[in-house]
Amino acid sequence: MRIWKWIGIGFGGLILATFIGLCVMAGGVRDAYGMLRYALPHMHRGNLRVGEDAPDARLVALDGVSRFHLRERVGKRPLVLIFGSYT
Amino acid sequence: MGDLVKLYSDYKDHADFLQVYVREAHPTDEWEMKKNLDENVCYPQPKTLEQRVAIANDFIKRFHFPMPFGVDEMNNAANDAYAAWPERIYIVDENGRIAYRGGMGPFHYKPEEARAWLAKRFGPVKTPEKPASAPATAPEPPVSSPAKS
Repeated sequence: MRIWKWIGIGFGGLILATFIGLCVMAGGVRDAYGMLRYALPHMHRGNLRVGEDAPDARLVALDGVSRFHLRERVGKRPLVLIFGSYT
Repeated sequence: MGDLVKLYSDYKDHADFLQVYVREAHPTDEWEMKKNLDENVCYPQPKTLEQRVAIANDFIKRFHFPMPFGVDEMNNAANDAYAAWPERIYIVDENGRIAYRGGMGPFHYKPEEARAWLAKRFGPVKTPEKPASAPATAPEPPVSSPAKS
């Protein structure tokens, strides 16, 4: 059963190499861990397609009180939607 | 950031823009990155709408961010509808349909693709590299005749 030993070592090595690659990509061990721990569950490719109706959502204005709907901004001109956060 | 502001200033006469603030990508209590510490952008993940709005206002103040702005509600409705987190760009056409769908950030977040879409539609915008030394506005062709006669 020596072959299983080598398969195990190869598999372990592959996982280690992937993690090291992730560290390089993310900028450090801590960031790679954070990516696995916090980012992966939220990473969605989404299923909106070009040509589909843009979904609506209610948004809050910067005063923190008034609300408006995203679809209200669709009008005579194309609407560029940029999603993001500060950090 | 700078790319977005430039995109906005180049095409705001042709298209509408809306920046939507969604849940934080790298808050201090989740996946904080070294970059956040370097840039002094350290916030915990907002638990209330007030906190979210406060961070959005900090962001606008710090970068003098000029675009129309909306904050996703705490149910993350906009984020879920558009698979937005951590960052993503869409263009919605005049009929309310998705005309351009950007990839998921940060690796597939490409403002230049949105610029290419706008350039294809409205023509490329030539802006001088040094706006300070250039005239503030391009010379407009004179109006041929007054509307009233």
